[in-house]
Amino acid sequence: MAAEEGSGGGGGGGGGDRKSSPAPTKPGGGGAAKFLAGMPSRGNFSSGSVSSSLGGFRVYVCEHSTDPPEGQIIQTDSTNILIRHLQLNKQKSEAKDSGSRTPGETTRGKRSAARSLDVNNSAKRANLGTSSGSSVYDETISGFSQHTLQSFTVERLRALLRQSGLSTKGKKDELIARLRESQG
Amino acid sequence: MSVWNYVVTAHKPTSVSHSCVGNFTSPNQLNLIIAKCTRIEIHLLTPQGLQPMLDVPIYGRIATIELFRPHNETQDFLFIATERYKFCVLQWDAEKSELLTRAMGDVSDRIGRPTDNGQIGIIDPDCRLIGLHLYDGLFKVIPFDNKGQLKEAFNIRLEELQVLDIKFLHGCVKPTIVVLYQDNKDARHVKTYEVALKDKDFVEGPWSQNNLDNGAGLLIPVPAPLGGVIIIGEETIVYCNANATFKAIPIKQSIIRAYGRVDPDGSRYLLGDNTGTLHLLVLTHERERVTGLKVEYLGETSIASSISYLDNGVVYVGSRFGDSQLVKLNLQADASGSFVEVLERYVNLGPIVDFCVVDLDRQGQGQVVTCSGAFKDGSLRVVRNGIGINEQASVELQGIKGLWSLKSSFNDPYDMYLVVSFISETRFLAMNIEDELEETEIEGFDAQTQTLFCQNAINDHLIQVTANSVRLVSCTSRELVDQWNAPAGFSVNVASANASQVLLATGGGHLVYLEIRDAKLVEVKHAQLEHEISCLDLNPIGNNPQYSSLAAVGMWTDISVRIFSLPDLELIRKENLGGEIVPRSVLLCTLEGVSYLLCALGDGNLFSFLLNACTGELTDRKKVSLGTQPISLRTFSSKGTTHVFASSDRPTVIYSSNKKLLYSNVNLKEVNHMCPFNTAAFPDSLAIAKEGELSIGTIDDIQKLHIRTIPLNEQARRICHQEQSRTLAFCSFKYNQTSMEESETHYIRLLDHQTFEFLSTYPLDQYECGCSIISCSFADDNNVYYCVGTAYVIPEENEPTKGRILVFAVEDGRLQLIVEKETKGAVYSLNAFNGKLLAAINQKIQLYKWMLRDDGSHELQSECGHHGHILALYTQTRGDFIVVGDLMKSISLLVYKHEESAIEERARDYNANWMTAVEMLDDEAYIGAENSYNLFTVRKNSDAATDDERARLEVVGEYHLGEFVNRFRHGSLVMRLPDSEIGQIPTVIFGTINGVIGIIASLPHDQYMFLEKLQSTLVKFIKGVGNLSHEQWRSFHNDKKTAEARNFLDGDLIESFLDLSRCKMEEVSKAMGVPVEELSKRVEELTRLH
Repeated sequence: MAAEEGSGGGGGGGGGDRKSSPAPTKPGGGGAAKFLAGMPSRGNFSSGSVSSSLGGFRVYVCEHSTDPPEGQIIQTDSTNILIRHLQLNKQKSEAKDSGSRTPGETTRGKRSAARSLDVNNSAKRANLGTSSGSSVYDETISGFSQHTLQSFTVERLRALLRQSGLSTKGKKDELIARLRESQG
Repeated sequence: MSVWNYVVTAHKPTSVSHSCVGNFTSPNQLNLIIAKCTRIEIHLLTPQGLQPMLDVPIYGRIATIELFRPHNETQDFLFIATERYKFCVLQWDAEKSELLTRAMGDVSDRIGRPTDNGQIGIIDPDCRLIGLHLYDGLFKVIPFDNKGQLKEAFNIRLEELQVLDIKFLHGCVKPTIVVLYQDNKDARHVKTYEVALKDKDFVEGPWSQNNLDNGAGLLIPVPAPLGGVIIIGEETIVYCNANATFKAIPIKQSIIRAYGRVDPDGSRYLLGDNTGTLHLLVLTHERERVTGLKVEYLGETSIASSISYLDNGVVYVGSRFGDSQLVKLNLQADASGSFVEVLERYVNLGPIVDFCVVDLDRQGQGQVVTCSGAFKDGSLRVVRNGIGINEQASVELQGIKGLWSLKSSFNDPYDMYLVVSFISETRFLAMNIEDELEETEIEGFDAQTQTLFCQNAINDHLIQVTANSVRLVSCTSRELVDQWNAPAGFSVNVASANASQVLLATGGGHLVYLEIRDAKLVEVKHAQLEHEISCLDLNPIGNNPQYSSLAAVGMWTDISVRIFSLPDLELIRKENLGGEIVPRSVLLCTLEGVSYLLCALGDGNLFSFLLNACTGELTDRKKVSLGTQPISLRTFSSKGTTHVFASSDRPTVIYSSNKKLLYSNVNLKEVNHMCPFNTAAFPDSLAIAKEGELSIGTIDDIQKLHIRTIPLNEQARRICHQEQSRTLAFCSFKYNQTSMEESETHYIRLLDHQTFEFLSTYPLDQYECGCSIISCSFADDNNVYYCVGTAYVIPEENEPTKGRILVFAVEDGRLQLIVEKETKGAVYSLNAFNGKLLAAINQKIQLYKWMLRDDGSHELQSECGHHGHILALYTQTRGDFIVVGDLMKSISLLVYKHEESAIEERARDYNANWMTAVEMLDDEAYIGAENSYNLFTVRKNSDAATDDERARLEVVGEYHLGEFVNRFRHGSLVMRLPDSEIGQIPTVIFGTINGVIGIIASLPHDQYMFLEKLQSTLVKFIKGVGNLSHEQWRSFHNDKKTAEARNFLDGDLIESFLDLSRCKMEEVSKAMGVPVEELSKRVEELTRLH
């Protein structure tokens, strides 16, 4: 019986239980009868006979623009789950160390990779005409540290570049270099 | 046929996959939203019932729909995900009546294995994120920001690879999912995870439950404050939650796939199982603690795929396998112990497993008989273009010249008298107390002459117009009150009247206008026209239903139709019709709020004009051919809507849908006169005068396709028609579910093709099932036989290794087995072939000769065969050519060489398409459907330079239909008038799993080019709902490749041109450089293909 009272309340919660039939159990009314009382009702299907001819469908023809509002074309973050996980971890630990940390051994491997790449691209870099080269290895400049920049996704780097009005083309290391140039 | 194909839907999908209820169109309106594969239907719940609102095409196959309410919103948004990994969020803009796109996107991943158990899309009850399970081992999250905007989606690794269901739990601080999965030992468990949005990862959830029912397949989250989840198994139902509450009850073994929540607090649920039984699941609880579960039997419905509790005990049961239903849950069981009362059924043709085209009248108009539905909801459906009239009563009466119904008093809702006019007399019939029609008298009327018009008039009067006079008669006394006499030497030729006005024409072009004022007929105006008047009408179309300010008059000699203003009888407008055929009937009418002037000619053509009811201006002139004999027009109403009946040799109902005029033929041979006759005994009926007969009948629902259901209570799989024996034969099977064992029994059944009466049944052996059936005759034998191909499906075998070909003759309405032949596999397909029988048996194509034995009996003798298929499932033949649709090796073309008596492969398509149907469009081009819902055409390269090229079937057309096609058949659903251009276009009909009947029409190249241009223009003006792209939707897509659609046109898009607003039409016309009228005409012609 508890269920029945509960459900009756549920019906009321649905908004104006108009039916509120006297809810006593129907003696001998079959197993389900006592549970069928107090169906939620909000006033629909209340006329005696349900009419089957309430008009037809209008076929919807979309004449208007259906473009979503800005920024609501959703894409999936394309970073590999594992890499994203590592990055998040890194960001977290970095937040803990609150930037006081000098580049530890952990990042050395990466930097050396960056250096080798840098050598390969040196010709290109020279064309940019700024004093790049060594500045890549400076630790902290006004904006982000080399380390932090490395941990950013390419997407984010591009966003930063876009903010600074710089070209967003190239490999990650180039992007970082360009950012640092602008910051330097 | 050609390779330039036009694909259009004649019958929209009807199988329901999802439904949900919420406040979508307004904060105070409750809507039912139904997903039917590629369409969404929005209904409004009203005190009177379900009111249809919108039918929305979606450019995708709907995988999930969900209503949700973001924070700070007053109405629900609709989330739709499609099977091709697109999603959109829609909002209804009540002001503009538009579906706005709130967000959309692509949720596909470059790598990932699509889930086996279907895509899952769920929304957190607190609206923090949308969760999607699309690929094994990945859970995609689309988070909401605090303004309700969606943010960039990300994937989370889900350890469970075989997921059966995922739901969000209610009342959790952090969004929490519960996952039902199967481990590698096939045991099933549930597990919960919290979604850490910041870390973009799962955190082990508060609880889990191992080793559930082996058939557990469905999760039902219970709303707060109870919380927790109900796990539905095949033998048990379990409730568990975070507080380690665990309640279980056993149930009778069944597979429950659909549920609907009744109470907002989650204490009652409706469950629908695979046998179509509806149960009530009750969660008994004390305060916030669940104390137990109860399951009660409610009754029988269609096999449910979705259940939505609507309101006041009314429930929508959506079905894939049978008709969807609107049911009421009664407090008291009926005599059979059922609490379920079916209020309404919504026809569903799906799944169409097979169909045949039957042309009973041999007029080129086919009716399609489908094998529809599955399991207990199996049926045959007879689908015919046109509207049916069901005769209730008829009498023989020769020479009827006119027919009118009259009410006994002006405000009476029902008609009482039927006035039947003959060449020199008029007879009156009336309904007596026993609801029988008997002859009566109306004293004031002249019964000795032909009646030209009759009408109920204001103040309880009746009007009768004869050649000599107009008589005004009192309804109560039935006596003559007033009379207007035609001037001496003139007689009335044609007349029309409404409740207060009479307009008549006498010889010599005299037009006389009378009004009824204070029980008097007053001649108000008279006009002399230069020619004789052939027809006239003053049916009120303005605001006043008793008075018209316009009259329409059709003229002899100058063949014109004119609009006069009333009462001054001023000519407002004259429209020359051209040609030499006299207008025979004009009608002013308002359909769906739009006023029209219809003008029918003596040769069966009909002009329609849009009419400005105030100024009398005529625009948008259109001409259609309805028949070959003079037409007479009359309005009638059915279910509260006005339609027009055009009586002629091809009677037609003219009705309006989406403010367009549509023409639907009626299943009657020839009708001379018609009048509505709405009586208590025959509500909404029509009185119809045919040659030598007067009948009363009711009219079907006004819709383009008329569907008749023959319930079978078993599933039909293959069907074919035999004209000579006037029968249909089909293979079917029935599930027998006894307490422990499940078994199937297969039958061959014979039906009368006109009455659909069961004539004969031939049961197949145990494990034997019917795979194919055809009607054919053999060389040197005049008899026509039914040939049935079967397979023995032994449970232990992977592929059948044994089957039979059975040859039956129909003798005295019975199936007589003439010959049987054992085969070494399943006979998937049979074809009549050069007076022989061609069978596809497992991987082999086999040709059988029909041999006469010495004793006079026949036998099937193997002649030759062709190996080299994986499974040859579908074959079609034409001349000596055979087209084979393989399980996975696309289409190949074989040729039969008479001299060598051998079958050889001529060419093949080297793509790996998994075929579901093939058909030969002509000698050169073949069409195929494959299991990723695509269509493609291939062409034989007969004039290629090298053998290599000749051995290759060139793919010439590709198209994503979005429907699983089970069968193609040549034929047409509509009458082919040989004189019309459209009549020359060959068509193929197809049937699909979702109940779609479609038409593929092969167009001439110039028409194709024109329509292709129109389609590419329309794409710019008609946007996809939710910003889904039409181009992407129609691009051929399967696991192997994606390619732009080519050599196929989307007829549904092209025909929606006619639904555009006038200004958009003009924009399209400008972009095309073709006038609107021309465009409309060309597109309207296409609509007459189906």
